[in-house]
Amino acid sequence: MRIRNLSAVIMLMAGSVLAHHSFTAEFDVNKPVKLNGKVTEMKFSNPHSWIYLDVEKDGKVVNWALETGSANALIRRGWKKTDLPAGTVLLVDGWQARNGSATANVSSVTFTDGRRLFAGSSNDAAPTK
Amino acid sequence: MFSWSQKALFALSAVVLSAQQTQLPRAVDGKPNLQGIWQVRGKVAADLKGIVEGGTIPYQPSAAAKKQQNFTNRQTADPVGKCYFPGVPRIMYMEYPFQIFQTPEHVAIAFEWSQVYRLIYTNGKAAPHEGIDSWMGDSRGRWEGDTLVVEVKGQNDKTWFDLAGDFHSDAMNVTERYTMLDADTIRYEATIQDPKVFTKSWKISIPMARQKNMKRLLEYQCQAEAEEANGLFERDPRTWYPNPGAPASPLGKPAVMPPSGTLPEVKTGTNLRRLADGKPDLTGYYQSNAGGANYGLEQRRSELRLTPSTRGVIIDPPDRMLPYQPWARAERINREEPYRGYDDPTAHCFVAGVPRSIYVPSPMQILQPPGYVVMLFERMSWRIIPLDGRAHIPDNIRLWQGDSVGHWEGDTLVVDTTNMNGKTWLNEVGDVVSYAEHVVERFIPTADGKITYRATVTDPIAYTKPWTIEIPLNRANDELLEVACHEDNGDLQHLKDVRDEYRAKQKKGN
Repeated sequence: MRIRNLSAVIMLMAGSVLAHHSFTAEFDVNKPVKLNGKVTEMKFSNPHSWIYLDVEKDGKVVNWALETGSANALIRRGWKKTDLPAGTVLLVDGWQARNGSATANVSSVTFTDGRRLFAGSSNDAAPTK
Repeated sequence: MFSWSQKALFALSAVVLSAQQTQLPRAVDGKPNLQGIWQVRGKVAADLKGIVEGGTIPYQPSAAAKKQQNFTNRQTADPVGKCYFPGVPRIMYMEYPFQIFQTPEHVAIAFEWSQVYRLIYTNGKAAPHEGIDSWMGDSRGRWEGDTLVVEVKGQNDKTWFDLAGDFHSDAMNVTERYTMLDADTIRYEATIQDPKVFTKSWKISIPMARQKNMKRLLEYQCQAEAEEANGLFERDPRTWYPNPGAPASPLGKPAVMPPSGTLPEVKTGTNLRRLADGKPDLTGYYQSNAGGANYGLEQRRSELRLTPSTRGVIIDPPDRMLPYQPWARAERINREEPYRGYDDPTAHCFVAGVPRSIYVPSPMQILQPPGYVVMLFERMSWRIIPLDGRAHIPDNIRLWQGDSVGHWEGDTLVVDTTNMNGKTWLNEVGDVVSYAEHVVERFIPTADGKITYRATVTDPIAYTKPWTIEIPLNRANDELLEVACHEDNGDLQHLKDVRDEYRAKQKKGN
């Protein structure tokens, strides 16, 4: 468990340093979000990877786009496209986009059993937790 | 047996062949030296049919229908029309020059088109990262006699072969053969295998001609030019180089700057790896330890925990703050407003400029082919630094990465860069730089695999005196991957929404 936590920290750092745009310009630190939903797609891409998550609220399902670090950072740590299959249930903390769309920058991703996933914010300039 | 005349003919042709071979320029390792600026001879980018052996591409029936559909929609559907990476082999026969660099372990190709490059490993090593697809694929080369043979694998299914809609799947493998016919001609051949799309493999062949009158590549930044043309990227008239006929900078001509302060000396290492010519061997994959320089160069305390506290990377002036002119400080502060995030060129995936390319948080590769230092950046751009003592290009040519020339001072590589276009930002918080920027970089090898990087920036439009940053660069045992940026840019629209909302409010207010 200790090792797992350590690797989560490494992942967090890896994800955190590969931004290509201003965090504060795109995301609103005054709009923290907590999401619980099912993965519909993991898009391995640069400069950011995206997790798409179906989140149910008041009987309606909204597909959120969640920004994480670059595909290259994930690849360098041994992640594969298939490592996050559709249907996986995740708990996500992050900050919503300023434009109010169902988009967020991710600060942490947790499996239902409490394990943490690689994702950190895509930007150093994101608030520290 | 053979007649006398036949024997004479054999003897004669052997003489002709060996004469040709001895005429080929050769690298120190005896391989044909492909180094130089090249471009294909002939126009095939619109339709490659003319260079296909046998004249037809052997499509499977269902694929032939898709090719026809692509052709019908080609004006909007061609990926290159959207400035997406062309893939291999298409990048090789686009009508733009490219420069080949050669070392015993690598062949690198830098393309004028959008500063794309290919790094072909000829060191016999396998790719360290498996199961990745990319736009330009993974290239591994080997020499078969005097022919460079390159296997290209792992390309995605998003590129075409030409504007006519000829396409492939992600199962495609390409085998390229580069054969020098004489000092100024390479025969380029590519064999395409893709069992999902074609009934059998097929081959193209086209000559490449040395561009003897071309001294250096310039830049064709496809996406940046498109966005500037359609108004999606706006230049700041205070910092960018005036076009002929446009009003001069409102700030007037650059004044002469006072000299910068004396910097503490950094000693070069004693046990450095060296090249055959005795210069330090800087070749390799590097990560900068930039201390958040891409989020601000100055010393700062974290505010609202939005940015980490940092000592910054400025070593001169001693207060570790940038010596801004008042207008530029005001502009720098304004650029932190959320509605200005859209204006950062790297948010558009444009190249980062100098010195930002060094400290964006992505790795780079340094190569030292004869006569040059070449820097390849994972965010797909290059810097080609000639060491032959040449002068800078004419003042009216302005480039995103500027014009760099280099020389050695002892074991320190010194690079002088001018001709910047004034469109770049120094980082995400918008530290300001103008077209008048003049950068002197020092790559000081302090130990094997360790470089102390210093850049002194003189920019009389934005600053009152020169300033210097210092950043450590560390060599690691890895290879560059590809960053396809604007191809997958999910952020820009969000930033534009914030900008547009602000502008709409301003308009309403007036």
